[in-house]
Amino acid sequence: MSESTPDGVQDTPAAVVLSGITKRFPGVVANDDVNLTVREGEVHAVCGENGAGKSTLMKILYGMQPPDEGTIEVAGERVQFRGPQDAIRAGIGMVHQHFMLADNLTVRENVLLGAESLHGIGSAARKRIAELAESSGLRVNPDIPLERLGVADRQRVEIVKVLYRGARIVILDEPTAVLVPQEVDDLFETVRRMQAQGYTFIFISHKLDEVREIADSVTVLRRGTTVGTADPKRISSRELAELMVGSQLPNPETRESTVTSTAVLRLSGLSLAADDGSERRVLDDISFTVHAGEVLGIAGVEGNGQTELVETIMGLRKASAGRIELSGADGELVDLGHANTRQRREAGIGYIPEDRSRYGLLLTESLWTNRILGQQSRPPIAKGQLIDREAARSSAVEIVEDYDVRTPNVDVAAASLSGGNQQKFIVGRELSGNPALLVAAHPTRGVDVGAQALIWEQLRAARRQGLAVLLVSADLDELIGLSDSIRVMLRGRLVSEADPSTVTPSELGEAMTGVSEIHDAVEPAAGAATENDTDDAADTGEAADTATDEHAADDDTQGGKR
Amino acid sequence: MSVLRTRLLPPVLAIAFAILLCSIALVISGANPFAAMGAMAGQLFEGTTAVDTINSATVYYLVGLAVAIGFQMNLFNIGVEGQYRFAAIVAAIVGGALNLPPVLHAFVIIVVAALAGAAYATIPAVLKVTRGVHEVISTIMLNSIAGGLVAYLVSVDQFGVQQGNSVSTEPIPASGQIPGISFGAAGTIFGFVVIAGLLGFGYWFLLTRTRFGFELRASGLSPTAAAAGGVSAKKMTVITLLVSGAVAGLVAMPELLGRDYAYGINSTTGYGFTGIAVALLGRNHPAGIAFGALLWAWLDKSAVSLDNIGIPKEITTIMQGTIVLSVVVAYEIVRRAELAAEQRRVGRALATEPASVREGGTL
Amino acid sequence: MRRSRGAFASRLAAISFVGVLALAGCAKDTGDGGDNASGGGQGQPCELADPPAAPQGSESNTEENDGGDVDASDLKVGLAFDVGGRGDASFNDAAAAGVDRAEEELGVADSKETTAAATESEDAKMSRLRQMATDGFNPVIAVGFAYAESVKKVAPQFPDTQFAIVDESLDGDNVTSLVFAEEQGSFLAGVAAAYKSENCHVGFVGGVNTPLIQKFEAGFIQGAKAAAPDIEIERDYLTPAGDLSGFNDPNKGNVKAAGQLNSGADVLFHAAGASGKGVFQAAKSKDALAIGVDSDQYKDKTLADTKDVIMTSMIKEVDVAVFDFIKAMAADDLDSLPERFDLAVNGVGYSTSGGKVDDITEQLDGYKQAIIEGDIKVSDKPE
Repeated sequence: MSESTPDGVQDTPAAVVLSGITKRFPGVVANDDVNLTVREGEVHAVCGENGAGKSTLMKILYGMQPPDEGTIEVAGERVQFRGPQDAIRAGIGMVHQHFMLADNLTVRENVLLGAESLHGIGSAARKRIAELAESSGLRVNPDIPLERLGVADRQRVEIVKVLYRGARIVILDEPTAVLVPQEVDDLFETVRRMQAQGYTFIFISHKLDEVREIADSVTVLRRGTTVGTADPKRISSRELAELMVGSQLPNPETRESTVTSTAVLRLSGLSLAADDGSERRVLDDISFTVHAGEVLGIAGVEGNGQTELVETIMGLRKASAGRIELSGADGELVDLGHANTRQRREAGIGYIPEDRSRYGLLLTESLWTNRILGQQSRPPIAKGQLIDREAARSSAVEIVEDYDVRTPNVDVAAASLSGGNQQKFIVGRELSGNPALLVAAHPTRGVDVGAQALIWEQLRAARRQGLAVLLVSADLDELIGLSDSIRVMLRGRLVSEADPSTVTPSELGEAMTGVSEIHDAVEPAAGAATENDTDDAADTGEAADTATDEHAADDDTQGGKR
Repeated sequence: MSVLRTRLLPPVLAIAFAILLCSIALVISGANPFAAMGAMAGQLFEGTTAVDTINSATVYYLVGLAVAIGFQMNLFNIGVEGQYRFAAIVAAIVGGALNLPPVLHAFVIIVVAALAGAAYATIPAVLKVTRGVHEVISTIMLNSIAGGLVAYLVSVDQFGVQQGNSVSTEPIPASGQIPGISFGAAGTIFGFVVIAGLLGFGYWFLLTRTRFGFELRASGLSPTAAAAGGVSAKKMTVITLLVSGAVAGLVAMPELLGRDYAYGINSTTGYGFTGIAVALLGRNHPAGIAFGALLWAWLDKSAVSLDNIGIPKEITTIMQGTIVLSVVVAYEIVRRAELAAEQRRVGRALATEPASVREGGTL
Repeated sequence: MRRSRGAFASRLAAISFVGVLALAGCAKDTGDGGDNASGGGQGQPCELADPPAAPQGSESNTEENDGGDVDASDLKVGLAFDVGGRGDASFNDAAAAGVDRAEEELGVADSKETTAAATESEDAKMSRLRQMATDGFNPVIAVGFAYAESVKKVAPQFPDTQFAIVDESLDGDNVTSLVFAEEQGSFLAGVAAAYKSENCHVGFVGGVNTPLIQKFEAGFIQGAKAAAPDIEIERDYLTPAGDLSGFNDPNKGNVKAAGQLNSGADVLFHAAGASGKGVFQAAKSKDALAIGVDSDQYKDKTLADTKDVIMTSMIKEVDVAVFDFIKAMAADDLDSLPERFDLAVNGVGYSTSGGKVDDITEQLDGYKQAIIEGDIKVSDKPE
């Protein structure tokens, strides 16, 4: 471990110094002797796996939790925050990952809410908001209701909100998790511009490319403590990742096609009517085929029907039109139209749900009990109407070993495992059923880099052995890295197709937001993509859903099922 | 070891707390708590009270099981009250009318009771899965309807026979009765206690060893995860309510086949609500419910003993309420503490490995 | 939403409509004796049948009931109440009064009272009786027919203890049954109601629909019809058989009574135990009259605020029966007790406290005499 201080900001005074911060929760030490120095005017990234202690550290800095040990200095003075109000007074603001905004209030009202005492609510406030909107790149009419805004603009409203309250140091908590690549670029441009105006940013992320792009220095947390601070320009993403994980990463890129001509899943003209009884279709004429040995990736901004597609295939929703066929034992495709979820699973579909705590696990039950879930009707777990507990237990032990699930034994409750280990267990369980098809929704969402690498490796291995995989993901790197073919979903339809060996994340991002459908293919100006998105959102209620529900969640919290 | 502690500590604490609270109440009301506790403990050694306690506990066990089956799936079957009363009157009428050889006669009555209970539970089950009517609402109303049905069926114009000021069904002949286990002067323990025990075992087996039991528990623990795992919520709701209703149907059988031989207007009501408390006390566990049933029955008997020595018998009601409340609270506290402890243990168990990781990683 | 509001509005309208009717009734009451022009049977006092001739000098012959020289100082009386216990302003209280009087006048050494819970199993009743017998109480008096099975089972186990049961007829060497001719007393209540009704419309509120309470209903109806053949009668029970809460639910009593009053009845007779409080309250709020039950409820302190509406009470002398039983027991002369406490032995009757029936005592005593002499037979089943 070595401490290297970036040259550029070496001489500027420290805006924030956290020294020896320790925070204990019952059973866990979330922060253990964390040291962080953020210099004035820099963008300082804080990196780490999930559970490394980033969130806790930021909550301490923002006054939401007091540290058990250690000191906080802001602009050279020792401070003690009793609540966020104190932190705001000291010039610290936080843009939360899940926006704290009221949909039915206007942009201006959202900014003013709770801060009426600063500049009143009249013309002075209006003027100040206009100034801040200018510097943060928020180009919307402040008098329209928030619900008409896209995610990127909402984020800017959050930024204006903290600036309005006088923040000079802005904490951005996973700000890019909810954005498509173009929006990320716009955000970074804004951050740089504001940096030039003298604002200081603390940028929480575990997307290493972004960290390298925007940050002037990066502090890495691992298992609750600081591993070191580095100059992101000088190290590679891979080195950064290894710093976070603490071990050598497996090499992600080795690809030879294993796609066969055997169709495993075929969707033809699949449609799903909206729950509200309207004419609107949540899924509209979806057709594709997944072959044995093939990973078919579905890209799309969340809320465009991916969740519904997965649930319809699993039999949790009833299609209003179209066919779902799965290859049977003899290789012939069999219509699943009237099969329920259990029959579909028995027919050979494995399922990694997007929300593992609600759909994938019985949290309070032991791991070996969770091994039964979804396979309670099939051998080796089922013996007629009885459950073979020993088989479940030994199979659970195997999964724990094969998939590197970090747990003392299989008797502990699923809830006591970290998210990544829970997910590894789910992947192991679903693959242990020897499925012909795996429906994987966001299989590595909210898991750490180590678990992600392992899950990817397991999916590739299964694919080599002829597994067909339908992969839905918001992580474009994952989609491009794993898929043999990618479809882009927009408002319930498959709008375009991409070859993962040639497509770039940025191109995918354009297709996901519908930009690439614009025929005169002028490179959109900064903000154009988001404005386009906003307009569309105003057009159809469905896309408005998109906007509100775009919590591409990262930590343990995940967007609920609609 | 820790499992035992998790299971047994909360009820012990809860009972201790309830005793403390009741002692305070007794002192305030001017009675001597030691005399009260002495009377309550002493009655256990009177043969008749002990026998009565076991007999009541048999009934409470059945009703606790019926409620617990619903609880497993987060179904609050308040309708156990109506289901058991409806089943009792139907079984009593059928049992009194039939003429069958011994054993078979009793068996038929028991089957009829279970079927009648299940049939009455079908109504809320169908309402819930087809129309989304919450089972609490529908079963409360059906309880009231059951009361009317029982009164109608037992009336002299229908199947009732009037004796003095009381009306009840035609008595079940000896061939349909279940002989008890006699303890001489102390009384007779219901023979049905054996059947109740077998049911408890069946409940345990069903829950822990069968596919149905797993699906039942999974649906209760997380309806969404169960659905994703291929469990049909509607099917489970219907089956669960029917099974709960069938067990509820047996609640009146110990008394009907072991002591009263007829069901009438003086037959006890309200067991269904006791069952909720007993199931809560027993944490839906077959052994726990047995413990809860015994405890509840003993407190019930204490009411008579305390009244007998001039101590307000309401103290037992206070104690019953306090125990239920504190057991629920205590289990929740212990559950959380145990989960935190387990997370801590998991963290500790894994801490050995990352130690090397912490050193690793160079720039 | 709109729909329910509509329903609510129409209900409001219905309530206010009824309110208008009730007001009209009140106005009529304060008028000149109900001689208005509305015509029809409704709203008119009854056309009364001729009452049987009253006996000469109808003095009550209750002299025999004083303590005399009987000494009961070696008796320990155990009293097992039904639901409600002492303070129910009804028959439990009456039984308690009988024991109190025995203590006072006969010098009963010791007595103990225990009370049943609302929903308790049969064995709780049995253990209650058994515990008192074991503790040496003799006699043990079970109040209420709910104890029938228990007495039947426990009495043979304690052959040296004398048991008594109120309201149920049981066989057994050591069991004394204290039963009453409720239908006869209720008959007189029906006659009184018919005489006092302004609308020729009366009502009966029963607690629980059991054969025992049906006796009250039967007698009341026969009495009212005997006095006024055209009378309209409302009949309601608070709960069906099997649900004992009807004896202990004043709110339900109030609701049912208010319903009867709204449909035109203006004299209500209740046989609903503690639920009767609610009936009296309803009668008071509608300016109607009510008839109490079991004891002289006009004098009951817990009903003091509604005593103005209690025109009479159908008396069931549980206290006398209990007292007589203790006295006979002390005198070792149980055979002297009547088989049934009826009008002839003053086991049932009516009260005159408050003076509201003073003007019709002659007629009431006429009917009473006719029943005693057998000229009128009162059935114990409602038609």
